[in-house]
Amino acid sequence: MIGVKCPKCALMQMSRPTCKSCGTALNGPAPHPTPTQAFTTPPPVSSPPPPAGPIYMTQEAPPYMTQEAPPYMAQGGPPSMVDDAPPHLAQGGTLYSELDGGQIHWLTFHGTGGSLFGIQIVNMFLTILTLGIYYFWGKTRVRSYLLSQTEFAGDRFAYHGTGKELLIGFLKAMVLFVPIIALYYAPQFVEVTEVVKIVTILFVYGMMAVLIPLAMVGARRYRMSRTSWRGIRFSFRGGGMDFVKLFAKCSFLNMITGGLYYPYYETRKHAFMVSHSYFGNQKFHFDGHGRDLFGSYMLAMLLALPTLGLYWFWFQAKKHRYFWDNTTIDYARFRSAVTGGALLRLWMGNILLLVVTLGLAWPWVVVRNAQFTARYLTLEGSVDLTAIQQQAQVASPTGEGLASFLDLDSGFDFG
Amino acid sequence: MTTQWEGHYLDGRTAARQRVAIRLMRSGLEIITEKGATAWWPYPGIRQTQGSYAGEEVRLERGAEIPEVLLVSDAAFLTALHRIAPELATRFHNPTRRWMRAKLTILAAIAVIGITTVLYFWGIPAMAGLVASRVPVSWEEQLGQSVIEQLAPPSAQCTDPVRIQPIKEIVTTLTNTLPNSPYTFRVMVVDNPAMNAFAAPGGYIVVFRGLLERTQTAEELAGVLAHELQHVVKRHATRMLIQHASTGLLFAALTGGGGDPAAIGLEGARTLGILRYSRRHEEAADAEGVQMLVAAGIDPKGMITFFETLAEEGKGMPEFLKYVSTHPSTADRITRLQSLAAQVEGNPVKLLPDYDWEDVHQICQATGTQLRP
Repeated sequence: MIGVKCPKCALMQMSRPTCKSCGTALNGPAPHPTPTQAFTTPPPVSSPPPPAGPIYMTQEAPPYMTQEAPPYMAQGGPPSMVDDAPPHLAQGGTLYSELDGGQIHWLTFHGTGGSLFGIQIVNMFLTILTLGIYYFWGKTRVRSYLLSQTEFAGDRFAYHGTGKELLIGFLKAMVLFVPIIALYYAPQFVEVTEVVKIVTILFVYGMMAVLIPLAMVGARRYRMSRTSWRGIRFSFRGGGMDFVKLFAKCSFLNMITGGLYYPYYETRKHAFMVSHSYFGNQKFHFDGHGRDLFGSYMLAMLLALPTLGLYWFWFQAKKHRYFWDNTTIDYARFRSAVTGGALLRLWMGNILLLVVTLGLAWPWVVVRNAQFTARYLTLEGSVDLTAIQQQAQVASPTGEGLASFLDLDSGFDFG
Repeated sequence: MTTQWEGHYLDGRTAARQRVAIRLMRSGLEIITEKGATAWWPYPGIRQTQGSYAGEEVRLERGAEIPEVLLVSDAAFLTALHRIAPELATRFHNPTRRWMRAKLTILAAIAVIGITTVLYFWGIPAMAGLVASRVPVSWEEQLGQSVIEQLAPPSAQCTDPVRIQPIKEIVTTLTNTLPNSPYTFRVMVVDNPAMNAFAAPGGYIVVFRGLLERTQTAEELAGVLAHELQHVVKRHATRMLIQHASTGLLFAALTGGGGDPAAIGLEGARTLGILRYSRRHEEAADAEGVQMLVAAGIDPKGMITFFETLAEEGKGMPEFLKYVSTHPSTADRITRLQSLAAQVEGNPVKLLPDYDWEDVHQICQATGTQLRP
């Protein structure tokens, strides 16, 4: 759990002595020293000031090499001279504190298939050895590796999820899911009337219609809350039931229009996912509309047969570009330059690799996909990073567990 | 040795990143901002979350849920840390010992190959045999019944009561060699031109008209029936179900968190693996079938003759197909059967000597006609 809930106004916030909204005292000690206390000015008497000028390098051991700790630590901890202002303001510098408006910021993926293959082998070994329990830790290691190897504007992402969380999420999802499955198969084993059968089946389908969108949202909420860049967590704050309603409404419209609603459906789902996403306290915005994709979708339908379905890649590329090009944060806009041809080549290569190696090449496929995303995606414009405050949100792993049960993908990739 | 390093500090409150100097000491790190403010991080409170791969920045975190972060781009920082505080630094990755990780990974790979091989060739078949032998016959019968409903519904069965009689008689002759069998054996002929026969769990044997018409003697059909009866007795269908589920689990473990892309390729490997199990079962049914024929006093040459008919039909099938087939290649089966038949001694008597076998081929022409009064 991240953050604390104010007992009076129920605001979810970072651990702090008092509620930032109403001032009520919050229970529990702060989980870590607040950043203003993290730094102390150097003690003037007992410790010499740090050497001036450039950071020196010496082959000889400096005097404090034999020291256990800085001298002031021996005198009962660091002196209590505390800066009131956050350190970056106190020092007057705004180094690396803004993504410059004149620049294009790139994603770079540094991972290699070989390293990922090594992780995979160890995961296989430990999963077999623990009769499957390690699976969740293995999954976490893979995610952590992939995010750690992704760099944006000079800094790497970090993943903070744990295997234990995934295991708990899986178990909770099982508690929810197993009775539904049991109910679905029960009429085959127990003598019941037709009416009871129909009611049971309708109930099960109803539950699924709720659980599938909840799982999609839950997985996104979990994964974003466990992802950070420059120490600031991402978060997803869309309401689960809001998405259930949207999902039901769009599915219904898609059904009665015989699939013509599909581009609207996709765009509305995407809009919900993006516009409830945050980086710290900074919101992502999405300004796309399904009608802009309708023409391309109709063309894709018309060309599906003559191109043996291959034109679908061009529609996917168009959708991908449209979705990213309409995503903004602060004064910056994402840009994607993916083309249908590039997407087709990526897919053909991946399928060939997997089939020929009987799946052994999957780490290289994952790396190819990540490099592909990084190659075509940029952020243009400026983001004031000093204005972005940490605003981590609580997120339970249950939705993630459900999603893994239902084999859903939340489509979360770097916000 | 360098004890002072350059790095960046993230306070966990804003996305701004500040440059700091870091001093390595024996029990912790001293962090100095450009303005001269210092912070003290004792080693036991620090965890390393990045920087164990070449080219990756070293990332140190301190604090609970939302940590403060220290980033050092030079991996030599870790080497220096291990020199200065060898005991406390064991919690940090040591780049000079990266070869150890490579070695352990290779060991894990060898272990995975070893375990998988043992499980696949020995563990899973043995376990399936053990579990299958404990499955109640009534469960198998239920399963068999649903298979029959799908593949040989009553409307497709040839029920000529006179011509089914010799076939039932052969089955009885064969099953008399199994005095303690818990199964009730039921044989049925289906009006289908395919040259096929199969056994469903629980004692059901289904012969297709196409196959029956190509048998020249009662002995030839007896060979087919003996083979199918062995599938029932050895519970091959039940074993296949268990093997299918277990290989599913094994391959799920092998994806090790990889997810869908890995599953696509592995599904191919799994299918190949299951086909091999199937071929082993066919070989077992052939071998045990010959034994059964001999025990029942039937000449096994009939079985071989029939396989030769099969081989004739399947001519022109490429050799490599034997690796992607549920059955071993017919030529291989004939060779094995001939050597098996040569090993056993028996005094075969002519099966159904007074019966005109050609007549049994007509069994389906009477379909739909009721019992004659």
